[in-house]
Amino acid sequence: MTGRLSVSHVALALLGVAIVIAVWQGTIAWYGLARIVLPTPFEVASTLAHLFASRSFWHDVLVSLREFLLGYAIGGVLGVLVGTILGERPTARMTVGPVIEALRFIVPFAWIPLTVLWFGTSLTGKVVLVAYAVFFVMVVTTARSIVTVDPTLTRVGTMLGMGPAGIALKVHLRAAAPGIASGAKAAAALGWIAVVAAEYIGASAGLGVMITNASMSLATATVIAGMIVIGIIGATVSWLVGRTTAAWLNY
Amino acid sequence: MPELTAAYRQTAGSSRAAMGDGSAEGLVFERISHTYVAANGSTPVLDDVSFSVGPGQVACVVGPSGCGKSTLLSLAAGLMRPTSGVTRWRGKPVEPGTNPDLGMAFQQPGLFPWMTVRQNVAVGLTTRGAARSDARRQADEMLATVGLTGFGDAYPNQLSGGMAQRVGIARALALRPKLLLMDEPFASVDAFTRLKLQAEFKALLKLDRPTVLFVTHDVSEAILLGDIIVVMSARPAKVEKIIPIERGDRDRAGPGYARKMTEALRALGVETDLSHD
Repeated sequence: MTGRLSVSHVALALLGVAIVIAVWQGTIAWYGLARIVLPTPFEVASTLAHLFASRSFWHDVLVSLREFLLGYAIGGVLGVLVGTILGERPTARMTVGPVIEALRFIVPFAWIPLTVLWFGTSLTGKVVLVAYAVFFVMVVTTARSIVTVDPTLTRVGTMLGMGPAGIALKVHLRAAAPGIASGAKAAAALGWIAVVAAEYIGASAGLGVMITNASMSLATATVIAGMIVIGIIGATVSWLVGRTTAAWLNY
Repeated sequence: MPELTAAYRQTAGSSRAAMGDGSAEGLVFERISHTYVAANGSTPVLDDVSFSVGPGQVACVVGPSGCGKSTLLSLAAGLMRPTSGVTRWRGKPVEPGTNPDLGMAFQQPGLFPWMTVRQNVAVGLTTRGAARSDARRQADEMLATVGLTGFGDAYPNQLSGGMAQRVGIARALALRPKLLLMDEPFASVDAFTRLKLQAEFKALLKLDRPTVLFVTHDVSEAILLGDIIVVMSARPAKVEKIIPIERGDRDRAGPGYARKMTEALRALGVETDLSHD
């Protein structure tokens, strides 16, 4: 992700895409697949072009992004906050740690039926789900990053005249930043997946809804185009988070 | 110059004594015993340890690994209380909390990797209330003193081990500490760099003449830097011997050096003459 993009890097990336398209096209030809089962890459590309020109598509994208961003912000802030407390306080770790350990293995998707029951198809349900997914990643990475801060840095903070709060914020949290940043990147990917999954099951708008609707009307090209959009947005979000944090952690 | 220095120290000492506020006392460990208590049992580390370091004096503490040398530093720094006994600094018992007279350097440089070298040296000054511009200027001066002019904008990961250790020492000295605690600060650099750093450090102490408690496991380092060597026994540690060092003893080729070395090693229980094998 860092450094210059050389010509050979771009060429190799394009080669990868070309291989996927070739296998895709080849599969259709080899098995003689109907368009409804697997449309050609060209059909999907032209569907994408149509989508980009339609207002309802951008509305769906915005709905999904809004759910994601709200949930990401809420889950991220709460996760770092709780993670910091757990990292700083062994008693808190012993009290809350086991509960968090258990809950974090109940994947966000297992909560979808309940969120639909509680929040219906509203925005809130999706935001809660994303926040949940993001929260646990951030709690665990923040707490772990703080616990593993070099103990010499703590002694240095004391020596320099910092109090416990100063050490927690200016030394521990700051020293944990690279770990927290990589957690933020992983959480972004997971949060975005959670949005789309939640929309597949209970939502009135969003990319997931667009895809399920297309699937029910057998518009397979739209389904695949939607999937590609999901992938591109997910990769972009993850790249943006990585890029932003890398600029800040440039030392 | 050395005569001048000695004279300076004497007058400095007597003027401090004249103040009559206990500052003539320096750092005093009085009948310190300490036991670490953990779930799987308790470990006594210090057993009735008493010695004092006069103002402006350098005391080097040597002893076997795990004998509680670092515990002495933590007690002096006010990072913990002893199980029994008193640690006094300038006549007052050391209380947990921040001692504004204190500067400390560690075995690892412990630089903040997200700060530039200059910021690392300046951060203690701003934390203690100095204006940002003053702190910056003093940091640059101190970096020049330790021979790191031009490295102010570098980040710690761009420095060699010896350079990073210099920054750690500059950070401690920039605080103009009256009490300087050194926790094996040269143990993690290569032997040649260590010799250079020792000589530099010796010169740096002449700036402010802090009271120094210097923990090391290197007897030659203790002879070179110390006014007294405090030899500790194995855990639970007692003071085995206190060896005064004269200026002449620091000449590595001289008889005084060999005598003090032998004396310290014997106190440590190390066989010193292997020539009869």
